[in-house]
Amino acid sequence: MRSPASGLQTASDPRPAVYLDHAATSWPKPSQVVDAVSRSLTELGGNPGRGAYAMALAASRAIFDARRSLAGLLGVPDSCDLLFQPSCTYACNLMLKGSLRPGDRVVVGSMEHNAVARPLARLAEAGVEVVVVQADPAGLVDPGDVEREVRAAPTKAVICQHASNLTGTIQPLGDLADIAHEYGSLLLVDGAQGAGHLDVDLAALGADAYATSGHKGLLGPQGIGLLYVASGLDLEEQAEGGTGAGASETLTMPTERPDRYEAGTLNTPGIIGLGAAAQLLAAEGGAFRRMEAELVRRLHEGLLEIDGFRVLGPPPGAPRVPVVSAVHDTVDADRIAFELDRRYDIAVRGGLHCAPWAHETVGTLECGAVRFGVGWGVTVEHVETALAAIAEIVT
Amino acid sequence: MSRRTPESFVVLGFATTHAALAAERLLLDIGVPVTPIPAPKGLGQLCGIALRLAPADAVRAEGALANADIAPKARTTMTDV
Ligand SMILES: Cc1ncc(COP(=O)(O)O)c(C=O)c1O
Repeated sequence: MRSPASGLQTASDPRPAVYLDHAATSWPKPSQVVDAVSRSLTELGGNPGRGAYAMALAASRAIFDARRSLAGLLGVPDSCDLLFQPSCTYACNLMLKGSLRPGDRVVVGSMEHNAVARPLARLAEAGVEVVVVQADPAGLVDPGDVEREVRAAPTKAVICQHASNLTGTIQPLGDLADIAHEYGSLLLVDGAQGAGHLDVDLAALGADAYATSGHKGLLGPQGIGLLYVASGLDLEEQAEGGTGAGASETLTMPTERPDRYEAGTLNTPGIIGLGAAAQLLAAEGGAFRRMEAELVRRLHEGLLEIDGFRVLGPPPGAPRVPVVSAVHDTVDADRIAFELDRRYDIAVRGGLHCAPWAHETVGTLECGAVRFGVGWGVTVEHVETALAAIAEIVT
Repeated sequence: MSRRTPESFVVLGFATTHAALAAERLLLDIGVPVTPIPAPKGLGQLCGIALRLAPADAVRAEGALANADIAPKARTTMTDV
């Protein structure tokens, strides 16, 4: 790894000295995850669900175990209800396109990522009525506003993220579930920034479907996402193909979970790596979250100590996921991100973070923001190094 | 050449690999030996893996699976494999 502030970029080793882009993807990965992926590639190379020879069975069993570990971590009573998807984005597409039909009406918060906003735009073209409820300037969706809209006309679903990838705001999902269910609507959740960083008990939460990424707070590899679908929700599958089991002479997909929603060969290394991460999080997630809260506190406070910064989202000390985004009065967010990388070897993300709705909501659509995402492996020293570098860049 | 007496088995088929493995786990946990095998034609159109067990264990096994809500989709008996 390059030393902090070395300024020496090398093509052969692009790893940063300080990595603060956990909201985009977690890095580095815990050794348990790396080892599990490696074992999957070297020892469990058979095609899971296809074939009854030892190595294919071993791959199938490893996937079965990973699904159970993840179901345990996320509070899913029947692990069949937890589906492996290629990403949170695919999971959101299945959740939305599998449940909504032309003529349906949905109520959605204004902080959504493009993983929700774009499928909804497509569905709107197809005749779904999309009502957007404006969140407050800190990014919080007010359940009262949602209730007003849901009461106004029959509504198929309330759609809301668990937490914002821009402001870190945690949405009031419990209240939204109560409202949705009181009016006979579904609650559909994009949990990309929630799982791993927050205690998620899906049985208790009341969401009818919950999509999430495997590679962010859950610390797994990229290329794997999850979709929880409550047992009573009959989503229409969005892909057809082989599942390896069931009645393969028929041309329709099996109706049983998880196979109905998992056509094609699964991402075995990704799933097994994610399963290992789930075990680590089950054992140590509480300690990771306490560390994240401390890092967020210091980052937030440190940014406010530097002249000219406005920090988006909840006030200092209020609950948030470990994402802190800020805007400077005079120095452009992209320039801060660029200089942190080039001059200080610190990785952060500027721009719009695939969330133009959210930026519009908090008034940063024109200027963007610089986002710091902390997580597993980040230390207080990393945060102090970044704060010192930022102070130099803007003064 | 020694001649083996043909052995009979009960074979249980499941709708998904997940269900077959959940059944395997449960049966091993309660001490019923099972062997995953490729689902035989006798199970109808089911493919994927099936679980083979001794006829003497079948009643206990099927009772336990029914209690755990992972009842097989198909059942057959076979002699030797
Ligand atoms: C809130 C939110 N939703 C969805 C996604 C999409 O996740 P993925 O890129 O893993 O599909 C992200 C990723 O940035 C996100 O932050």
